[in-house]
Amino acid sequence: MATMSEKPGLGFVPTLSRRQFVKAGGALVVGFSLVGPEILKGDAAKPAMLKNSIDPTLLSSWIEIHPDNTILIRTGKNDFGQGTTFTAYRQIVADELSVSFEAITTVVTGDTDRTPDGSGAFDFLGRGVPNIRKAAAYTYQALLGLASERLGVPKERLAVKDGVVSGGGKSVSYGDLVKNQQLKLTIPVKGELTSIMGLTIDGNPPMKPVSEYTVIGKSFKNSIIRSKVAAKETWATDVRLPGMLHARVVHPKTLGSTLISAGGVDKTKFPNSQVIVKGNFLGVVAPTEWEAIQAADQVASATKWTEWKGLPGNAKLYQHLREEADWKSAPATKGDANKGDAGPALAASHKKLAATYQLSYMKHAPIGPTMAVADVKPDGTVHIYTHNQNPQELRGEIAMMLGTTPDHVIVHAYPGPGHYGRSNGGNAGAEDEAVILSQSVGKPVRVQWMRADDMQWSTQSAAAFSDVQLAIDDKGKMSAYQVDHYMPPMQDDRPIGAVLAGLPTMPAPDVHSDFITSTVNNISDPWVYARVPNVMERGHGTFQVGQKASPLAVGLRDHSMRTPVQFQQNYPRELAISEAAALAGTDALQFRLDHASEERVIGVLKAVRDASGWDTRPSPRPAPVSTGSTPVRGRGVSLMFRNLTYWACVCQIAVTPSTGAIVVEKCTLAVDPGIVINPMQLKRQVEGGAVMGISHALFEEVTFDESGITTDDWTSYPIPTMADIPEIKVVLINNPKVGTYGGGSEAPNALAAPAIAAALHDATAKMIRRLPMKPAYVQALLKT
Amino acid sequence: MITLNVNGVRHEVQAPDDTPLLYVLRNDLQLIGPQFGCGLAQCGACAVLVDGKEVRSCITPVASVVNQEITTLEGLPARWAKQKRLSAEEAKNTLHPVQQAWIEEQTPQCGFCQNGMMIKATELLESNPHPTLAQIKEAFTTSGPSPNLCRCGTYVAIIEAVQHASTIMANGR
Repeated sequence: MATMSEKPGLGFVPTLSRRQFVKAGGALVVGFSLVGPEILKGDAAKPAMLKNSIDPTLLSSWIEIHPDNTILIRTGKNDFGQGTTFTAYRQIVADELSVSFEAITTVVTGDTDRTPDGSGAFDFLGRGVPNIRKAAAYTYQALLGLASERLGVPKERLAVKDGVVSGGGKSVSYGDLVKNQQLKLTIPVKGELTSIMGLTIDGNPPMKPVSEYTVIGKSFKNSIIRSKVAAKETWATDVRLPGMLHARVVHPKTLGSTLISAGGVDKTKFPNSQVIVKGNFLGVVAPTEWEAIQAADQVASATKWTEWKGLPGNAKLYQHLREEADWKSAPATKGDANKGDAGPALAASHKKLAATYQLSYMKHAPIGPTMAVADVKPDGTVHIYTHNQNPQELRGEIAMMLGTTPDHVIVHAYPGPGHYGRSNGGNAGAEDEAVILSQSVGKPVRVQWMRADDMQWSTQSAAAFSDVQLAIDDKGKMSAYQVDHYMPPMQDDRPIGAVLAGLPTMPAPDVHSDFITSTVNNISDPWVYARVPNVMERGHGTFQVGQKASPLAVGLRDHSMRTPVQFQQNYPRELAISEAAALAGTDALQFRLDHASEERVIGVLKAVRDASGWDTRPSPRPAPVSTGSTPVRGRGVSLMFRNLTYWACVCQIAVTPSTGAIVVEKCTLAVDPGIVINPMQLKRQVEGGAVMGISHALFEEVTFDESGITTDDWTSYPIPTMADIPEIKVVLINNPKVGTYGGGSEAPNALAAPAIAAALHDATAKMIRRLPMKPAYVQALLKT
Repeated sequence: MITLNVNGVRHEVQAPDDTPLLYVLRNDLQLIGPQFGCGLAQCGACAVLVDGKEVRSCITPVASVVNQEITTLEGLPARWAKQKRLSAEEAKNTLHPVQQAWIEEQTPQCGFCQNGMMIKATELLESNPHPTLAQIKEAFTTSGPSPNLCRCGTYVAIIEAVQHASTIMANGR
């Protein structure tokens, strides 16, 4: 099989379907799994199986070895552009199985009826042991067992190379081993398929020692790039079903408006259009897309909604959060690294800082607005075709909405525009709306949000503020660090169409919701300055702004977005550490080195120092300038530990004081993930993340008035253009002795902000403590 | 009935004159290279070439391009084959150098905007085979109705791919 995709044919993709494969290749697969008592200690847990699911306890549900020596892998994780399932996953499986990268010819991802494990498109590398690695390790043991029997040689005396097992002067290929075998062997699996974490393979199969890796560490290409670039990939946007209608949704006038009367469609202009109303949910369907768009515009203008003003407006956001939000209902949390007693140390110090840092609401802002096709069949079976980070959880949400069970819902996952966390809890916006409309009209319906829908009716990354206090002792060292992080919840997984239609959903984030959707604000930024003697980190949570006041129960809905919560906690910390260094009169990078003890923290800091050409000296620079129209230059540094990976970043900027415009001229990132699985792919992930980080730092701010979100397109919500990007340098530190591999596509989007703010201070001696650093805000600061 | 010339093929389509070209390409002609990004000509995801010039199909009425040569992402290989006078056999197995460079440089992350990026790169390299870095940045930022936007931040990889495509085109393969 030449292709990496195994989608049902929709007319555009020359893939070989499984049926075709059977015709072409004879025996398809050996259903094959094993786990004898020597591998599996204890009973295999078996979660309840759903119809329309594949059995996760069967090893062959994860990995198929074919008689022709090709291999297929299945993962519930759906690619969002980082390519991990098509590169790193193949490399991990190849090394565990001792086969070549190319032997893994097919990667099946995402679909709820064709993949075993669920969970979301995040943490792909599973803290070093993703499900697919364990599946491969179990498979390897099974193959060794078969080979031992076949060759009459004990397992310990067998060697495997490129899928050929040798021992006792004989050899046999994997393909020959499995030919005509029908083994049904099982593995232990735990968890809940339709939850955010999905299923996890249990047990401890022996894994390949790092020293024997031959595929991991090489820059294999991401196979899906070719089909995307050649216009041969079927994207979610390309799915067309027989009899399908196009739809647009008329969302309420404000985030709290209820429907007074739905406008009718002008049948003289739009003879084939139809208005569907369910509670406060309003959709317009038509046979052609252009008619649906125009008819929806006309219906929108004729529809009457109640007025609502229940938001503080973004100008009063932080005042609202500080003075009016309820921070008492959710219990405060404490950091794992808390130690000593910060209070007395702060009181005793003569050099101290007390400052507040603010981050705005930000949008995931996918480059294509969310869309989905739904087909609700007469027998109640629901098919959804979409781009989604957690199809299994979506399945559960749709079942809840319809009052049915998840086995009636099948989600087909396709590539689409990345949306950076928005649907990791099951939905991105259009899926449930398509289902409601399809059920109403009895035909497949394609809902495509317009740009303004996506900006104004999707979830956002929550705003936050943090109060930091720190003290410098007589030796210029930080004697105490104390922070209180304040943030509304970051995980509202309620499908918006269901909320508007008054259909059942999970509850909005509340004190008593489960650990991930609750209002509790957990400390999420691992502390890396081990030499600070007194540390106190506290998290404070509240409810979503406007949600309780909204008659729709909507308000400003929040959802995790790339490096969620940790970004909101790392930005204040890292900027405060740069301020502390300035207070101590010490170079900001050296100050960090002085307070760290972990070898890998020190390693990334030194690497970024060397690669960026960092000049060691205190900030601000000699003779800082905060006036005039001549650009002033400065540099700043930041540090983070996330998902087993250590990161350091240096940004060098030029700021024009008279305009407040910041240009990032050079951005250098040092990355130590432990084992680097694929240098090329990691480098591309980091470059992209770094650009997004500059975007968060300089451009991104959701504005809103008392009624709703006022950013509605790329002009009001700008992101960087090619002209805005700096020279980007990525230093990959391959550190195999660590023995694990960490994530690479989250963290870099958070690193730029504190480094740029510190660079602004370096250049001008003025400290800005809010994001984004828009020219107007910088200009205002520099005038003070 | 509207007659369109797309990727060297004449198509008869039934659509109101004001229908944006994008919907005709995607829904009537099954040409799915161009994507819907904003409907406002603000991002470039929907770009196609019209008589060699990058145009945003999301706001271009279909009736306005009837006598013009439209090229979508699907048509880039044939466009290159024609320019290089490749044999039919060669053409069948050839991607446009821009597409080839996009693969070799592993440019896309999610890839949704890359249709427009490749269209813009083709427009640029056809008029300026050896652009400087400044010219590349200018092309993707100020030459069109709006900058070509990438939310995944792949601009570094795009620049490297344009430069690589320029080399491939100069080498004639």
